[in-house]
Amino acid sequence: MADKMAIVVFSGSVDRLLGMSILASSAAAMDWEVDIFLQLWGVYAFKKDVMKENMNFSEFEELKDAVVKRIQELNFPMWYDILKQGKETGNIHIYACSTAAKAWNVTKDDLEMVDDLMEAGEFIEKVRDAKLSFFI
Amino acid sequence: MSMSPDELKNLKPDKVVDARGTSCPGPLLEAKRNIGQVPVGGVMEVLSSDATTVRNLQAWAKKVGHEYLGHIEEAGYYRIFVRRKK
Repeated sequence: MADKMAIVVFSGSVDRLLGMSILASSAAAMDWEVDIFLQLWGVYAFKKDVMKENMNFSEFEELKDAVVKRIQELNFPMWYDILKQGKETGNIHIYACSTAAKAWNVTKDDLEMVDDLMEAGEFIEKVRDAKLSFFI
Repeated sequence: MSMSPDELKNLKPDKVVDARGTSCPGPLLEAKRNIGQVPVGGVMEVLSSDATTVRNLQAWAKKVGHEYLGHIEEAGYYRIFVRRKK
């Protein structure tokens, strides 16, 4: 049985999403099974009309422009491209909290890369054997 | 067991993956994406600008069941060799 990683994504900030996508994609490349549960701002950040426009940073806001410039200089991919590559080559499943989806008035089809809507209890049971779990 | 630099230089890789210019997790994702194109028993060579990729791919090979053969340090980049085992 594959090692399992669980990630709960509450934040919609791109700096946190970048950290999340690096962990999730690396784990998937190492043959881990990764289950991601999106909550409030996480669901918002995965909206098709938001994902590429979102430049919200959670920390050191005053450094945002310099960080973005440096990331562009390094030709570093955006967080969603890293996650997409991980999902294409590995075992990553992304579930959106059904209540958050209701709050944003979206269905699965309005969200990028999301496999399904889910309630918290089902997700908790799904990841009960996870060896590593993160809350972002 | 790791091979000597001379043995590594004489290897004829079945696939060379150039991940230079990318940062973590780029080289790892490229390794994962390309290993399927290497026949079982064949060798993949990954090029990376980052020294940290050497240990990362070593850990990857151990975890997913391939054989890390070693690396060669060139000017400004690393050549990392992995044998596909399954």
